[in-house]
Formats: sequence, structure tokens, C-alpha cells
Amino acid sequence: MTSLRGRAVIGGILWAAVTITLGFAGLQSFIDQGAERRFDELLLARLTQVVTAVENVAATPEAIQASVGDPAFARPMSGLYWQVENEFGQVYRSASLGQDTMPRPQMLTSEIVIDGFSGPMGEPVRGMSQTLTLADGSIWHVHVATSLRSLRQELAQLREIMLVAFTFVVVIGVVGALLQVSVTLRPIEKLRRDVQRRWISEGGLDHGKYPEEVAPLVYDIDTLLNRNREIVQQSRKQAADLGHAIKTPAAIIRNELETLARQGQPVSDAIAALDRLDAQLKRAFGRMRAQTGTSALPSATEMDRSLGRMVRAFSDMAQQRGLVLTSDYPPGLRLRMDPTDLEEVLGNLLDNAQKWAVSAIRLTATTDAGDVTILIEDDGPGIPPDQIALAMSSGQRLDNAKPGTGLGLSIAADLLQAYGSALMLDKSAELGGLRARFRLPVAPAQG
Amino acid sequence: MRILLVEDEPVLAQQIKATLVTEGYAVDIATDGIEGQALGVSQPYDTVVLDMGLPGRDGMNVLKNWRAGGMRAPVLILSARDGWTDRVDGLDAGADDYLTKPFHMPELCARLRAMIRRKSEQANPVFERDQVSFDSRTNQVMVAGRTVNLTAQEMAVLSYLFHNAGRLVSRTELSQHIYQHDGERESNTIAVFINRLRKKLGDGLIDTVRGRGYVIKATE
Repeated sequence: MTSLRGRAVIGGILWAAVTITLGFAGLQSFIDQGAERRFDELLLARLTQVVTAVENVAATPEAIQASVGDPAFARPMSGLYWQVENEFGQVYRSASLGQDTMPRPQMLTSEIVIDGFSGPMGEPVRGMSQTLTLADGSIWHVHVATSLRSLRQELAQLREIMLVAFTFVVVIGVVGALLQVSVTLRPIEKLRRDVQRRWISEGGLDHGKYPEEVAPLVYDIDTLLNRNREIVQQSRKQAADLGHAIKTPAAIIRNELETLARQGQPVSDAIAALDRLDAQLKRAFGRMRAQTGTSALPSATEMDRSLGRMVRAFSDMAQQRGLVLTSDYPPGLRLRMDPTDLEEVLGNLLDNAQKWAVSAIRLTATTDAGDVTILIEDDGPGIPPDQIALAMSSGQRLDNAKPGTGLGLSIAADLLQAYGSALMLDKSAELGGLRARFRLPVAPAQG
Repeated sequence: MRILLVEDEPVLAQQIKATLVTEGYAVDIATDGIEGQALGVSQPYDTVVLDMGLPGRDGMNVLKNWRAGGMRAPVLILSARDGWTDRVDGLDAGADDYLTKPFHMPELCARLRAMIRRKSEQANPVFERDQVSFDSRTNQVMVAGRTVNLTAQEMAVLSYLFHNAGRLVSRTELSQHIYQHDGERESNTIAVFINRLRKKLGDGLIDTVRGRGYVIKATE
């Protein structure tokens, strides 16, 4: 769907184009009509000039030129012409016509007739003619004409100037429209930024800081986000309470059964059932954790803080197992993941690494195109490529030689999936054991 | 060795205590955070098992208060909170180990033994002096390859002296670490246990410093 900005800009430009085109056409038509009217008024004045001359010197038509007086009629090809014809077909004309004659109108009338034809230089000419009957009864047809060339040149120049002026208006109009769209859409962009910031901090949206048209929407979004946060937090708390309520009695039952087992009672089936129950619970809580959507809560993690905590905790454990844990990660980055979830992923992956490592575990993080890739490698036996999918499915233990439920990798994979990421397992090129890696987007800095 | 167990679920607390007593520990139980915190600072425990979800005061606060007050006994957190953030929070607050419920009792015992050994800077779970060997995992004592049976109290005295080898231990200190809070404390009985141990293990293992206490010499 076209963006609001796109719609406003395209709509504004189309509307401006229509109004400016109509304005341009209207103005041009007005100017053309005005020029034509002035042209015809001038032509009429000249016709009157010649008619007066004819009336004055009808007895000696050769004197018409002198009587008209305007030297432009005498100058050859001046673009200003007259021609007079009496009822005997005798034609008198201005010197400006040279050898050329003007066409006689088809209808002779005392009304003023306007016509158009080609002048002596082939240029377009506009003419005005009238048939007079003088007091002595003689009939004269008077015809004056003016070249349209200069008028058309003037109009063309005017059009060019108008075009430049209207182009300037178009540019100003488009820039103005863009600015107006930007100012109008600013609250929407602020809302987007505020909602984005709300995902990585606990703060709410202040609808009082928005224009009255947007404020109700902001209020509704804030209410919705708060409700969502409450639901998620309540679900997590209920899951935690349920977990606590079940785990302690489960521990009591296990202790009783193990005491009976030590006394030689046949309780191995009950212990095996309890093992399955514990694993099922752990798997269910792991899934619930991923599905109750900690990813739906506003959250970001200071990466070096979380990684530092995990490295500190695991360094001691690794040391007790005779392992060396090294780490290398850039400081000052924030990741788009809840810190508890990130530490759950890291804890499960590091725990798996320290179970299988022979002497070394390495935790590294690198940045790349707005994402961070986190790697956890060990020098243990690794997982054959054809068993990797099995290793990530719930409760699948590839090797029962080490303690554990086999859920660590699948819990990490489920959590990462809830954030749109994925856990990748392959062989560590440098350490030779398992390499677990995942990518997370960097969150914008707080403030 | 004397252990403080802070656990609000009475049945689970009694189960753990019963197992630990069998293992030769003296165990005091506190059922809420306030009592647990008070016992932890007033009694010389060798190690502590601490639940997190406690009435009165949360286990995390109890631990932080202990560490802020200079309490140095190793602490194992035993909690239903199994997230890695909780574990790391606990370790960062000064816990030495973290075990989640439900748990296997042998694992709890093994972790407690390991914590006590680390505090004593003893890497090997088997202590050996001259002809005498003491396996802290099984509480088996052998003299010249022959198994010797000890009573629970004798075992407790021997274990404490081995874990503090090279250091003079007074009768009062010994009685504080082998009797639980509600038990009868009779420091004169310590001399009786020492005499019995000498009869069973030979005279050379435990030295008496007259009027001051007893010592098992450190390994060279």
C-alpha cells in the first residue's frame, strides 16, 4: 500500500500540476485575447485613417497615401498595408505592398469585415475591410492589413517568460508541498519512533504531546501495549508460580523414591516415570517461556553486561572442570532481546559447551550490517552434520555419557526462534568441536 | 561439619537433613529468610544450603546481607528458579554453587562435599596421612588398607580435622562444628572421641596441643 507520505506528495503534485496547467492555459488565453483585441483596435484605427483619407481625396485617389500620412504604409514590406478599389475596378494601394495586391473579400458590405491571408512576404496577415458609399454616390472598397509576425513574436516571448515564471511556481509549489507533508506527518513519525523506543524501554507513550487528531490513536496504542505487557508478565508469573509449585513436591517425591530404592524397594519404574515427568515439565516450561513471548515485551540488552555476567559465572565453573573459557566481544552494543532470554540462550549453549569441551571454550561476538553474531565454540567431539537436527529437537540426547536432560539446545533454539532468529550448529574451524551461532539485531542507543 | 539448611518446605527440609545427617553432617534448619539470615551470621557453619523463594526475606537478599556482613561460608543455592539469569544472579551475589529443583540427593551431597573441599583447598576427595586414608565421598576410613568402622560423631571429628589439616582446632571449635544447634554440646565428650579415634587409627595421626586443641598435620 502506498505510504501516507507518497500519497500526500503524489496527490499534491498532481493537484498542483492540474491547477498550474489550467492557470497557465487560462492566463495565456486571456493574454492572447487581449493582444488580439488591441491588434484589432489598432487595425480599426488604421481602417478609419484610410477611410477618412478616401473621403477627403476621393477625387484624386493618388493622394490617398499622402493623406493617410503614416510613413509605415509607404515603406516596402513594412507589414502595414492598405488597398482601395472603386466601383470601376480601379485599385490603389500602399507602397508597402510593392507589386502585390490584397485579395478582395467575397462579400462587399458596409459592415467591417475581418479576414486573414498571406502578405507580400508570405507572412500571415490580418485584414479589415469596409465598403463605403460616398456622398457623390461613388462606391469604395477600403482594405487595411497588418502583418501578424510581430504580434506572434511578442506573444511567443510572453509565453516563454510565463513558462519560466510558472516553472518557478511549480518548483516552489513542489518544495512547499514536500515541506507541508513533512510537517503534517511529523507526529506520525514521532509516534513510530516512540513506539519503537517503547520496545526497548519501560516508558509509556504520552498522548498529550501529539496533535488532537493523532492523540486518541496514541492513547489507544499505549493502552494496547500496556495490556499486552500485563498479559505477558502475568503469564510468565503464572508459569513461574506453577513451576515452583510443582518442582518442590517433585523433589520431595524423588527423595522418597530414592530413599526407598536405597532400601531395596522396587521403585525403579516410579523413578523412571518421575524422570519423564521432570523432563516433560522442563520442556513445557521452556516452550511456555518462548511462547508467552518475552519477545513481545519491550526489551533490549546491554550486550557486554550480559556476556560479561555469563563469562564470569562460567569461568569459575570451567576452571573447576579444568577448562579455559576465553571471550572476545565489542563493548557498548544493545541487542533487541530481553536480557533474561539472552542469558537463557547463552547459559544453555555455554553449559552444553562445558559438558563436552576437552580443554577450551570460546565465546565471541562480531558486528555486521546492524546485526551481531554470537559464537560459542568448544574443542569437544562436536555433532555430526546428519545428527544436528536431532540434537535441536526437544529432549533428544545424542550421548548419555554426560548428565542433562538434552533440552538445552532446543530451549535455546525455541527462544531464538521467538525473536525471529535461529540457532545454527556446525563444526568449529579453529577449536574442532561444536560451533553454535546466532544473529540478533542491534537495538538503537537509549535516550 | 555443620550445615545450615534454609528451606521453607518442611518435608523437603527434613528429607535433606536426614540425608545429610547420614552423611555425617550436623544440620540446622531455618524455615524463613529472617531466621536463616540470623543463624548464618551467628553460627560458624561450614556450608549453607539456601532456598530462594523464602517467606519473610527472599533468599537473594539473605545471601547479599550475609556477604555484605562478611559471612564467608560457602553457599549452595537450591531453587526452583531454573533460569540462567537467576543462576548467574545468585552466583554474582556470592553463592558458590547453584542447584535447581527437582534435584538428585547424591548430586546435592557431591556438590556440598566439593564446596567444603574447595574451602579447605583440598583438591582430592581422599585425605591420606601415613597409613590412614579418609574418603570424604563415602566416609570410608582405612588404616593400612583395612577398613575401620567409626561412629557418626567420630567421623565428624575426623572429617573436620582433616578438612582443617595443619591448623590447631580447639575443643570449642570442634564442638561448634560437629553438633547441630539444638544438640547437646559437651566439649568434654570431644576428648572421648579423640581417644577413640587414636585407638582405632593409631596415635600418630592426631596431635594434642595441651590446653589448646588438636591438629592433623598438613601434607608435605
